[in-house]
Amino acid sequence: MRFNEKELVFLSRQPSEMAAELGMRGPKKGDVVKKRLVKLVVNFLFYFRTDEEEPIGALLLEQCRVEREDSQSFSVAFLDEAERKYLFECDSEEQCGEWIDSIIKASYEFMRKNLIFYRTEIHRLTGKDPLEQYGISDETRFQVSNGLQLTPRDAASL
Amino acid sequence: MKLHEKILTHYLSCTSPVDKEGYLYKKERNATYHRRWFVLKANLLFYQERPADRHLLGVIVLEGCAVRRVESDGRFAFSLVFEGPGLKTYRFAAVDVQTQESWVKALLSASHCYLSLLVRDLGRQYEEVKQQQSLGQPHHCSSVGALEETTSGLLPRPMDVVREGRNFSASTVLPAHSATTRAKKSPKLWPRRNALVTPLNKPAPQYSEWPLVGFDPLEDFRKIHDYYGQEVKKAREEWLRSRRAAEEQQDDGALIKLG
Repeated sequence: MRFNEKELVFLSRQPSEMAAELGMRGPKKGDVVKKRLVKLVVNFLFYFRTDEEEPIGALLLEQCRVEREDSQSFSVAFLDEAERKYLFECDSEEQCGEWIDSIIKASYEFMRKNLIFYRTEIHRLTGKDPLEQYGISDETRFQVSNGLQLTPRDAASL
Repeated sequence: MKLHEKILTHYLSCTSPVDKEGYLYKKERNATYHRRWFVLKANLLFYQERPADRHLLGVIVLEGCAVRRVESDGRFAFSLVFEGPGLKTYRFAAVDVQTQESWVKALLSASHCYLSLLVRDLGRQYEEVKQQQSLGQPHHCSSVGALEETTSGLLPRPMDVVREGRNFSASTVLPAHSATTRAKKSPKLWPRRNALVTPLNKPAPQYSEWPLVGFDPLEDFRKIHDYYGQEVKKAREEWLRSRRAAEEQQDDGALIKLG
């Protein structure tokens, strides 16, 4: 699958609040912990070999589960496969907590849900749609139904 | 650089809705236009030959690019211009002006950065509104809320009492007919509204859970989430019970035992 690599590499070089050297271990059997410069930019987690300009790889932080593994490390699992787990080792419990929090909040879907919540609440409380001033009230991505996910149980009650 | 494609394709195919999809012409290197099926989700623009195709031709990550309308060849053209040294410009053409406008609008609001600013801005507004609320400022009752009641035959009761209080105990369940008792409650109570989120441009969704908020530390957020979930569950059970009772009465006309 083609992708805009140059543009993505350029993105990875943008300033980020969450960038640090962490121990990183890949999901495959036999993968070992390696020191990597891990950087969170928008909803991507880039990882570099220390002092290299181009990242080794980019992980999209959507539909992933972030979990604390122990006091100083966390994992990110993709594709609902527990085996596809990346492990990250931090220097402190505090740093670990910050990373977990940041990664969760970086997800586009997470942000979308928040937006829809604020939009609905503000509208409920003031009678005004806060997105009108931006001219984006009609955009599908910001619609109320977009932030909701029906579980099988819920649908059965209809 | 390795882009873990499976993660992207998995995200594309997962249950959350797509933001926009349709045919567009994409200008290739040899200056010819090829029709492709585009799918926009979050800040990712995927493309493939046809909608039914399993194989994705490519994806464009929409960060750091400007969207420009282009007057060119008499087509309804627009481009994605990535700003930076040596970066690309993607060129597209639509079949008519509506399609062009629709895509331009959708792409303009697609980036993560844009969403981030929007959320921050709305979050601030929300806090302000809440502050004004607690200071007893007048509140404007929207007529839209009243409209929703008509479609709410299937829906759980509103949870407004819950919202205005700090009471998070799961035992405070709204009784099914609380219209009269409400008058005795705190003047800060908002007029009764559907528990459903107010739809702004579309018909009300049939069922909802309150969207998640990542404002407080994760602990509190989980509590809020669990709490609302319980409320909704209880309210729904009550409604189901009363509805079943009503149906049975209609059918038999005989005395029915409830529960």
